Amino acid sequence: MMQPGEANRFSTLSKAIAAQRTRLRSLAKVLRPKDSATDQRDRVGYLMVLPYILHIAVFLGYPLAFAFVLIFHRWNIYTPMKWVGLGNIKLLLTDPLIWRALVNTLYFLLIHIPLQLVVALGLAQLLNQKIRARAFFRASYFMPVVVSGVVVTILWQQLYSSETGLINLLLQRFGLPKIGWLTDRHYAMPAIAIMATWKNVGLYVVLFLVGLQGIPNDLYEAAELDGASAWQKFRLITVPMLNPTIMLVLVLSTIGGFSLFIEPYVMTGGGPANSTLSGILYLYKQAFFFSKMGYATTIGFFWAMIIFAVVILQRRFVETEAV
Amino acid sequence: VNAQVLQRIGIVLPLSLLVCCTSPRQAEIARPGSHIALTYWSATNAQELEFANSVSAEWNAQHPEVQIKVEPVPSGQSSEEVILAAIASGTTPDIYANVFPGAMQDLLDARGVIQLDDYPDFFDVMRERMTQELLNQYRSSDGHFYQVPWKSNPIMVLYNTRMLREAGVSSLPTTYSEFLSAAARVTRDRNGDGHTDQWMLTIDYLPIWYKRLFDFLPLYLAASNGQNLLEGRQVMFDNESSVAIFRFLHECFARGYAPRQTFQGDFFLDETVAAKFVGPDSMGHLERYRPADFEYDYGPIPRPDAAIGQPASYADPKSIVIFKTCQHPREAWEFIKFIISRQNDLQLMELSSQLPIRAGLLEDQTFADYFKRNPKLVKFAAQVTSARSIDSIAELKEIFDVIAQEVEASVVFDLKPPEQSVHDAARRSQQILDVE
Repeated sequence: MMQPGEANRFSTLSKAIAAQRTRLRSLAKVLRPKDSATDQRDRVGYLMVLPYILHIAVFLGYPLAFAFVLIFHRWNIYTPMKWVGLGNIKLLLTDPLIWRALVNTLYFLLIHIPLQLVVALGLAQLLNQKIRARAFFRASYFMPVVVSGVVVTILWQQLYSSETGLINLLLQRFGLPKIGWLTDRHYAMPAIAIMATWKNVGLYVVLFLVGLQGIPNDLYEAAELDGASAWQKFRLITVPMLNPTIMLVLVLSTIGGFSLFIEPYVMTGGGPANSTLSGILYLYKQAFFFSKMGYATTIGFFWAMIIFAVVILQRRFVETEAV
Repeated sequence: VNAQVLQRIGIVLPLSLLVCCTSPRQAEIARPGSHIALTYWSATNAQELEFANSVSAEWNAQHPEVQIKVEPVPSGQSSEEVILAAIASGTTPDIYANVFPGAMQDLLDARGVIQLDDYPDFFDVMRERMTQELLNQYRSSDGHFYQVPWKSNPIMVLYNTRMLREAGVSSLPTTYSEFLSAAARVTRDRNGDGHTDQWMLTIDYLPIWYKRLFDFLPLYLAASNGQNLLEGRQVMFDNESSVAIFRFLHECFARGYAPRQTFQGDFFLDETVAAKFVGPDSMGHLERYRPADFEYDYGPIPRPDAAIGQPASYADPKSIVIFKTCQHPREAWEFIKFIISRQNDLQLMELSSQLPIRAGLLEDQTFADYFKRNPKLVKFAAQVTSARSIDSIAELKEIFDVIAQEVEASVVFDLKPPEQSVHDAARRSQQILDVE
């Protein structure tokens, strides 16, 4: 316990330190020039970022705030808004189609993401080898990424066509029955997931290639000296070293998957029997077919929250696995 | 020095952006000359654009004081969306000549169009063209007229008559039984590989609301003798006519007469399918691209076997409106009267194969030569006065979306019995209408 004399000495010392700090601050103020180059640079910096801040405020901040206000209104763009309180949220919670769209999207992701990861990683591994015409193959796999989504969708719609599509013609050639790729509710979403994988895989191949080329060769050489098999090298070196890339691919694929729109819009219109109705397609219909901007905005916020939650869960799960 | 230069750039750049974004509107408004300029939005297809340009050029030559500028309606998902967006942003033209009457309630709710029956000669002009009963289909819920009913494309069934004849079908079907019987003969495997490669009918069954305007709606009007889907805000289609249509279409898909796929390209001209629902404007395309030996004809919308009374079809009409942003509505009205004059109606038919909403088309000598040269359009012309317009309510798209969902579920994929689907569509539609 502190004695009374010690307490007094401590108090005196504290006061002395505080007084010294005050003197030093005053001295710093006196010594610093009033219009220093640093201040000027600060001002210039603020002015330089002003256009971007304005851009963010006008094209992101304002629409976001306006959209939030819309959640509580009914509005068809051309007549005045009407306050509906929590009406749109209640409608969302009781709307079977939004839950159907969520289930459809999760089903799509369940097929699309593993397929995307496996195919992209496999292709990246192959394209990382010293093979002939490597640049040609790399460009070929990337080609669908730069082709318009609508063009790709129409192309695949023809391939999937029940009666005249190339895939069914091939099946028949081998004596197999025709499949209603886009007309059977059990096949429609897997068919779209395969198409989406084909369209996007090139981008993820590039990401994986970058990741693979960043793995030091010493690790593989050391493992070889220890007698590791190819599978062991892949499992124990490649996969852990690619963990940040896998995480990136996972997050990008998830966000892309939740944004599923062009494929069902062009190929199926959300059918058959709503089996390919995605959240964004449903939002689009509410906003631009039925002019229900308030409800569409509510769906948009709900969808953003779902994406956020799924990505957080993915990060937690994958990062834990990596440790 | 660098800091000063940067500071200047930092000031000038945002100010420049600000100035660009807020450039004064006066510069756009100020126009040289004292004549009145009116903007006229036309449909974007080449034929209608040609008609609009031709009519405007003629008018401009006769009226130097009122000059018309033609612009195609800006591209968008649909012209209705573009128009509503234009109303919201205050960028509407003076006149628009391709309004879907089903969207009129939206235009009225937006207070976007002017009342036309205020003009003292409105009813005289209309009576010269059509009966009061026909005109009343275009009357708005407040009892006034905001649109000029202009042209009609009555929906009929287009048949490849050679495919029918080769299948042993000698006359065009008029009832469901006749249609299904013909379909059984026409649908077949041409190359003998065990798979059907020729069908009777193609329907774009994707569950998109407007697609049902061209199959379910004409079938309903034909089956119910022109009864509307709604009366006021009351759903009227939960009845035997709707069930019969669902059953008929279901038979077409279930028996394989209509393929469960949508075709890219023209599978009618390829002779892969023998029938589809179309309007008279299809004739221009057919005449332009058909092979020399291709034979076709138009037949009535099939009806239930027991149907009696006068059949009707969907008119697929389009109207003309004047927007409230128009500074010279009286001159715009004069120009509209010019567009719908007898001579310009004839020009519309010549250029676009579309029919003016005008009673007595077949008796009027102005058009006699045209119909003599285009006998296939006589069947359409005969329906101009009996074909029906569409209910104009703000919830129309939602109601047709519900119908499209149920048609897909019951007719195409056999997930529900027709009775259940019709009942569910009617119940859901009534719920939509009942929401305040």
